[in-house]
Amino acid sequence: MTALLFCLLACYTAGILLPPCLPGRPKAQNVLANGLAIAASLFGVLLGLAGLLAAAPLTASISSTLPFLTFAVRIDPLAAFFVLTISLAGLAVSIYALGYLTEFYGRSSIGLMGALYNGFLLSMTLVVIADNGFFFLIVWELMSLVSYFLVVTEHEKSEVRYAGLFYLIMTHVGTAFIILTFLIFFQEAGSFSFAAFRHLEQPLPEGLRTLAFLAALVGFGTKAGIVPLHVWLPYAHPAAPSHVSALMSGVMIKTAIYALLRVYFDFLGGQFPWWWGFTILAVGAVSALLGVMYALMEHDLKSLLAFSSVENIGIILLGIGAGMTFQAYGLKEFAALGLLAGLYHTINHALFKALLFLGAGSLLYATHTRNMEEYGGLLRRMPWTGFCFLVGSVSVAALPPINGFVSEWLVFQSLFLGFHLPVVLLNLILPIAAAMLALTGVLALACFAKAFGLSFLALPRSAHARHAEEIPVAMRLGMGGLAAACVFLGLAPMVVVPLLDRVTEPLAGVSIEGRVLALDGWALAPTNVEFSSISTPAIAVMLGALAGLGLLLAWAFGGRLRKRAYKTWGCGINLTPRMEYTATGFVQPIKRIFSTLYQPTIKLETEFLEESHYFAKHRRFEFHIEPVFQKYLYDPVVLFFSAVADRLRIVQAGSLHLYLAYIFVTLVVLLLVAV
Amino acid sequence: MFQISPQLGSQLVDLCAALLLLTCFAIVAQRRLSACVDLFALQSVFLAATAALVAFLTGIHHIYVAAALTVVIKAVVLPRILKKVIERLNVSRELQMNINVPAGLLVCGTLVILAFYITQPIIPLGFLLTRDSLAIALAIILIGFFTMIARKKAVTQVVGFLVMENGLFLGATAAAYGMPLIVELGVFFDVLVAGLIIGIYTHRIQDAFDSVDTSKLTVLKE
Repeated sequence: MTALLFCLLACYTAGILLPPCLPGRPKAQNVLANGLAIAASLFGVLLGLAGLLAAAPLTASISSTLPFLTFAVRIDPLAAFFVLTISLAGLAVSIYALGYLTEFYGRSSIGLMGALYNGFLLSMTLVVIADNGFFFLIVWELMSLVSYFLVVTEHEKSEVRYAGLFYLIMTHVGTAFIILTFLIFFQEAGSFSFAAFRHLEQPLPEGLRTLAFLAALVGFGTKAGIVPLHVWLPYAHPAAPSHVSALMSGVMIKTAIYALLRVYFDFLGGQFPWWWGFTILAVGAVSALLGVMYALMEHDLKSLLAFSSVENIGIILLGIGAGMTFQAYGLKEFAALGLLAGLYHTINHALFKALLFLGAGSLLYATHTRNMEEYGGLLRRMPWTGFCFLVGSVSVAALPPINGFVSEWLVFQSLFLGFHLPVVLLNLILPIAAAMLALTGVLALACFAKAFGLSFLALPRSAHARHAEEIPVAMRLGMGGLAAACVFLGLAPMVVVPLLDRVTEPLAGVSIEGRVLALDGWALAPTNVEFSSISTPAIAVMLGALAGLGLLLAWAFGGRLRKRAYKTWGCGINLTPRMEYTATGFVQPIKRIFSTLYQPTIKLETEFLEESHYFAKHRRFEFHIEPVFQKYLYDPVVLFFSAVADRLRIVQAGSLHLYLAYIFVTLVVLLLVAV
Repeated sequence: MFQISPQLGSQLVDLCAALLLLTCFAIVAQRRLSACVDLFALQSVFLAATAALVAFLTGIHHIYVAAALTVVIKAVVLPRILKKVIERLNVSRELQMNINVPAGLLVCGTLVILAFYITQPIIPLGFLLTRDSLAIALAIILIGFFTMIARKKAVTQVVGFLVMENGLFLGATAAAYGMPLIVELGVFFDVLVAGLIIGIYTHRIQDAFDSVDTSKLTVLKE
């Protein structure tokens, strides 16, 4: 394991240092950077698996000259699971990037991008294996900064700069809260080592524990993108190059989930009052529902996917929140189930969201636009991309038998188990959360029916879409690998659950592998087979059999009918793209139903002919929904700060002498005070 | 080898320091740029003399090196660079100032009193024979700083900066018989480089604004 860790670090470091050494040769830089990233993430996959199966955690450390800072790493099952998740996604994305980066030849520095990309993967890996608070904060900041630089790759566009700035500010606000969390532990432990955090000499007083809980929720929640701290996500994730978006949305936000689990279950020892779990549940339910509702309204494919990440973080938090609630009442087996469901969804989301973002990247590569209204009919031109995107869509919409379904089903089951709790309030709340999750699931289905249908089906809506061509092989390979992984994780829970059980066992204190896997692993049963159980391989077989039956019937009864090839009937008129559903039209019913939330502004301006008011010359239709959180929560804060800053501008006269005088007066006053 | 009693040595050091302070006032009162530079060179010679005196009195040899470097760099090289800059820029006098000469002298007088007032509680704690010049060193630093604020031409601001540096050197000698030689060498190198850079910079300001008046830099503000 140590050797694997060393190889991983060496490859990433080489990937950071070497590509910029070949200036002017973008092709070599691309191959070198992504080749090293592929090698490193392969080592990462092995390291993650080894860490999950190892009997004892791997620890290593190098001391430094700075006080309190030790470069300590520790790979326990929790860390190993996240290393595995990061590396799996990193592997596929790196393969994809080999092809995707050709788009940037001559526009951006490939060497710099490659170096930052490797640095990004390295810092994420280090975040989850760091075993020292100081070291953790350093790599956490590194991760944020490197991803900021990747977001602003196309900094010549003003909206990209805006997105970058927004992200930078939000992530630093978050980091401030994370530092607060660690300082609370540090004050009690006297050291930044995680081991000291874990075994405090005196337990933290109740008030400080609560403060640590809330500070961690806000700090890491900002990175995870929980509502209402999610506002940066739909700006920053689409602005980055697509392979980076895939990593940011699929993997980076998961490091926050890791950190939350680390703080709550490891440092705080899994001892919670009931309302902590309730808070996480509420945050999760709201994030899931609002995330998907805003995703529905997006016409920019990448923004849609970013909002969908908010939704999925919500689903993960629902699982974890259920786990924490059960933990508070000592129902350890159910707690383990909730955590397992959350973690299962974590790795699933990492894979299918990376897949979808890569799909969006392919569409961008082929059509040079992110606006869904300009796609259409792409399945014919890009069958590979279309198929992979379909697998991702099925998965994110939680349709059986692919992976998104399994984990969402497990989250549902853990919420249904709420009737075991001894408090009536919670007996009610968990089913309500389940109901919100159900609504989320339906809306997600609508959302991805829209995303897939409008992009790939019907006729091309623009010249871009008409002239689209299939993407290079490397990109297809990366997406195909992820699609295969999605199918595998869905059909083989008997492989995944035992691995996840090794993660949740130390957190919840009990192993549930034997209970959850029924019928030699061919079925999943959260409590026992009578309560509920499901078998994805069986579903897959049945679906396959049904499809086969349909084909068989069609062949048996329809085979002898005379076939006539003719274009689609359009009531006697030639079909044109203008007859198609638009993305706006598709979501119109949902927009009507939830108009309280969306607060849509609809403007229809008509200019009539002078002769008659019955004939319109021009029509202009304008529609947008209110960004509620930005308007009522963020704008006032921003306004306040700019007002204060305006006042403070008076002292910034721009005169050299005045600045010198400031320093001089300060010096003299301080000297006088010191006397 | 003849000996000087500590009392007398201390008095001699104070005398040299007082001469340094006097040149400071002369710089503040002087409008002609080349004269300012000359006065700075003179001040540096006095500083070197102080350092040499301290080296002689204490027998710490590396202070001699510092003194020699002071003469070479601050009394010869830097003034020459500055003179060249003045010649090329064709500015000889400073007509406009932020604070005029009489008021400036009054402020400087106040600064000296302030420096003595501030260092008063510290000086009795010291046991070195140079301890009294600490107050003068602080006064020189403050006056150098004040020169940078009061004058508009970039060249005089450089002189102000260098005067501050001289004050710091004197302060280090006064408080601790000078810094370790390696630090001293580093500081000399820094000052030399700073002098060169500022010299070039002044040219750039001249090119961009047709003047070395730094208050014109205000237009750089958005």
